[in-house]
Amino acid sequence: MKTVLALITKEYKLFLSDRVAMGLTFLIPIFLIAIWGSIFGSADSGPEHLGLAFLNASSAPIGRNIEKVLDTTRTFRLVKSYQDERGNQIPFDTVTIKDYVRKGNASAALVIPPDAYTDTSIGLKLKFYYDPKNEMEMRIIQGVLTQTIMSQLPGAFIEGMQRKAVRFLGLDSGTAFNTGIKSLVSRYFNIDTGKIVFPSLTDTTAASSRESKGGRDFFKNVLDFESEQLVGKNIANPMATRSVGGWAMMFLMFTLTASSVSLFEEKQSGVVLRILASPISRVQILWSKYLYNMSLGFVQLTVLFVFGSILFKIDVLSNLAGLILLLVAASMACTSFGMLLSAVSKTQSQARGLGTFLILAMSSIGGAWFPTSFMPGFIQAFSKLTLVYWSMDGFLQVLWRGAPVVDILPNLGVLVGIAAVITSVSVLQFKKGHVF
Amino acid sequence: MIRINDVTKKFPTVTALQNISLTVADGEFFGLLGPNGAGKSTLMNLLIGYLDPDGGEITVGDDKVTRDNLEARKNIGLVPQSLALYDDISAQENLEIFGSFYHIEKRTLRHRIEERLRAVELYDRRKDRVSTFSGGMKRRLNLIASLLHDPSLLLCDEPTVGVDPQSRNAIFDYLEMLNCAGKTIVYTTHYMEEAERLCTRIAIIDSGTIITEGTLDDLLAKLSYEESISIIKNSSTIGKLELFRQFGTVIDDDDRFELKPNGTFRLSSFFKSVEEQGVSTRFIEMSKPTLEALFLNLTGRSLRD
Ligand SMILES: Nc1ncnc2c1ncn2[C@@H]1O[C@H](COP(=O)(O)OP(=O)(O)OP(=O)(O)O)[C@@H](O)[C@H]1O
Ligand SMILES: [Mg+2]
Repeated sequence: MKTVLALITKEYKLFLSDRVAMGLTFLIPIFLIAIWGSIFGSADSGPEHLGLAFLNASSAPIGRNIEKVLDTTRTFRLVKSYQDERGNQIPFDTVTIKDYVRKGNASAALVIPPDAYTDTSIGLKLKFYYDPKNEMEMRIIQGVLTQTIMSQLPGAFIEGMQRKAVRFLGLDSGTAFNTGIKSLVSRYFNIDTGKIVFPSLTDTTAASSRESKGGRDFFKNVLDFESEQLVGKNIANPMATRSVGGWAMMFLMFTLTASSVSLFEEKQSGVVLRILASPISRVQILWSKYLYNMSLGFVQLTVLFVFGSILFKIDVLSNLAGLILLLVAASMACTSFGMLLSAVSKTQSQARGLGTFLILAMSSIGGAWFPTSFMPGFIQAFSKLTLVYWSMDGFLQVLWRGAPVVDILPNLGVLVGIAAVITSVSVLQFKKGHVF
Repeated sequence: MIRINDVTKKFPTVTALQNISLTVADGEFFGLLGPNGAGKSTLMNLLIGYLDPDGGEITVGDDKVTRDNLEARKNIGLVPQSLALYDDISAQENLEIFGSFYHIEKRTLRHRIEERLRAVELYDRRKDRVSTFSGGMKRRLNLIASLLHDPSLLLCDEPTVGVDPQSRNAIFDYLEMLNCAGKTIVYTTHYMEEAERLCTRIAIIDSGTIITEGTLDDLLAKLSYEESISIIKNSSTIGKLELFRQFGTVIDDDDRFELKPNGTFRLSSFFKSVEEQGVSTRFIEMSKPTLEALFLNLTGRSLRD
């Protein structure tokens, strides 16, 4: 027992001797829990400000109501126009709104067509276009959207009835009709008459909390909700195609971190001294490591995608050029990331700890685990700083949307840019001679 | 061959070398003798250009040695103090890798690898992973790994630590052969026997400064006496410290007293007095003075501390 105790003490002593590595051990879970907490923590509120392209082409009041309600829900941020090449904001029409979704600017679009609701109709006609590039996000969008529209239907329906009654019967009889309808509804749905309040047009938000569940089922039949998937319809395995990018990036970063920290081992054994004693410069060592790691990363990704295409029928061939360019750019960025780790860390365990921390942090806020749209605004801003975000987005473009190379140029540019910036930082750090 | 001019090297917490100046001529077997932490490895790292000095200048041949001057190191071989080898691959593969850094023609390299492996008796084990080697075998491999490009200057940083006497002699013979063939060798050690045996010229380094340098004879001549006397510590001698002090300076060294005779010292009168005091002469040893004694004399400390 005493021996075991001594051994345990030894472990703690060693652990405590590297403060940075120790700190990371605690920092990693705290930070990640904080991120997850901010995403899932307030379960009732759910995600906020998901971009939803919106076009109201109808003049009916219900259209405006739906727009108003959607505008005020925290779940959505309605996008009603797009930017053209000259930077002007152009309001959507029925064609451009579909393009907007197709290009991946929004996951979904809701169109209230001109004939959505007419005096003579009872039902409401809506069009919904979507791109299920992210299943989780799509479920939330559809769920919240359906709920919101449903909440508007009773009012719209009854208001329509009322209006028709008044038009056909005149005001007095109309009012009588309304009262009659009230008792009819009461009897039909088995609800207390007092509880039935006809929603006024100006009190739309309140309506949503007031409407009853039974009513919703009934009105479902009245809603003509025409939805059309715009992207990824012919993809054999949507699940695998969507998630392969995130997985690939995580594996890649772990491999390259492990490979980069090998520099510490070489330094410790004296091999670095031996190499530098030959006519080889530090910069040459760095570049050789860089190119080696990059090619290793590229090969790893290639293998992963080849197996993905065999096992999960991920279509890699239709867009091979874009995919290869993306693999190269992603390997470059991840390699620089590994280099940076070994440049800023003083020990191998620091590099490992820092690596794990950054990989998990970047994967979570970069959108490898859940959609970035679920995250609070300030975290979304950070998402775009991660190489995970840009490579995943690139993979999605290429594999899911079938985008041509031109469309992923921004992704390639950002990834190469990230690689250039962090490589320069690493090289400067290496030049200072902290590492060797 | 080597000119070290007023070189200083500082680390954040210590000054490893303080205003060192040395020259090593072509073909010399130069010894750098000093205790742990004296600054030997630091000086080697400066000579190869792994580190830049904070002050002063080093030239090897015609080249100024700096971190960025790759040309200077083409003709230098460094045997690092640590075992700078890849453990997970074979001895042969290690040598092939390290040889490849010098752009040696393939056949020449293969030939040299075989020759060096045989010289240090590792040829039969060349296909084995280095991790299966004994400490001494790794040392020997570590040595020849620095010789593949046939450098004219060889820097050996304690190349025989942990090597048994027989293999050590083999290494010595090999190094002497290289020296005879015209190579300049700088050899660091904290074993004075090694320096005495191998080196034509020796510098003694302590706490970052050269405390003396010269040929072995030069150095020993600096001692004012011709005999070194050590008295084994035991019950009959310990109490006689005052007696010994009449004949010179006494240094308490582990299991013995080292007596540095003073100017008026006479061996006959020393033995007479000692016998009179009942100390058996069996406990008194006389020897030729050594570098050990010189170090003791200069620093008041033993080399092995
Ligand atoms: N990288 C370093 N950072 C800080 N201090 C160092 C570094 N390398 C050496 N030193 C210090 O410089 C001094 C000289 O070290 P050096 O390794 O040159 O001694 P040495 O003579 O080779 O000793 P040994 O016989 O133990 O190998 C020591 O005090 C050591 O602690
Ligand atoms: Mg040393």
